[in-house]
Amino acid sequence: MNKIKVTCKVVMDHICENLGEDLNSEKCIAIKNHLDECDDCKNYFNSIEQTIEFYRKYNINLPGEAHERLLNALGLKNE
Amino acid sequence: MDEEKLIEKAKAGDKKALTELVKKYEQTIYNFAFKICRDPAKAENIMQETFFSMIKSLHQFDGKSKLSTWLYRIVANHCLMEVRKKKNRFVSLENDNDMVEDKYVTDWSSLPYKSIENNELRKVLDEAIKKLSPDYRIVFLLRDIEGLSTEETGKITELSVPAVKSRLHRARAFLRKEIDEAFKS
Repeated sequence: MNKIKVTCKVVMDHICENLGEDLNSEKCIAIKNHLDECDDCKNYFNSIEQTIEFYRKYNINLPGEAHERLLNALGLKNE
Repeated sequence: MDEEKLIEKAKAGDKKALTELVKKYEQTIYNFAFKICRDPAKAENIMQETFFSMIKSLHQFDGKSKLSTWLYRIVANHCLMEVRKKKNRFVSLENDNDMVEDKYVTDWSSLPYKSIENNELRKVLDEAIKKLSPDYRIVFLLRDIEGLSTEETGKITELSVPAVKSRLHRARAFLRKEIDEAFKS
């Protein structure tokens, strides 16, 4: 994954875009002020991030026999 | 050989090229099908159905989207058909106030399990996502796990961009809450 340098402005832009709000709107400024001070919101953000990470890492490998069965079913051969 | 050439050859009936395409995408399709249905046997069946559909319709693929996006659409349709057959009851996410209104949000830095190799954690993740309606599950998986854009996810699921965003937000919040509650109990 590319390393993108994220600034507070980028984060706020993203949040406000999703809220349909201008960055300098009253609501966005209030959100920024709240985020600066609220541990609960920081915890919430971190736990959402962790949730995504868990599901992203939870993968299963295609069993070798399933690969063979697939090629057989499709009438293809391992070359 | 690049993918465009493989597709052209496969369209012309070249079995070797078709085999290459199948090999290239079988793991991705199997994994994605598993992540939706959470059952290895069903995932294998859906993978086979997806490749049958691919072979049948490859001549219609116009190259305007990526082949992977086109395949995600096929696998998502097969998964939705499969899950809807069972008529399971899923949690309603119409009201998301319950999901985000935690007075004190737990700090997850002290979670007992962090490694995805842990069976307890896998069980918690399986249980949580099984409760999520497949319509929400697919949006979460395409957008957050497979890394597709909001627009691509919208095309595959035939949802508007605001609808994708709304479902994604609710799916994330729901899963987070389910995991949180499992760890607290």
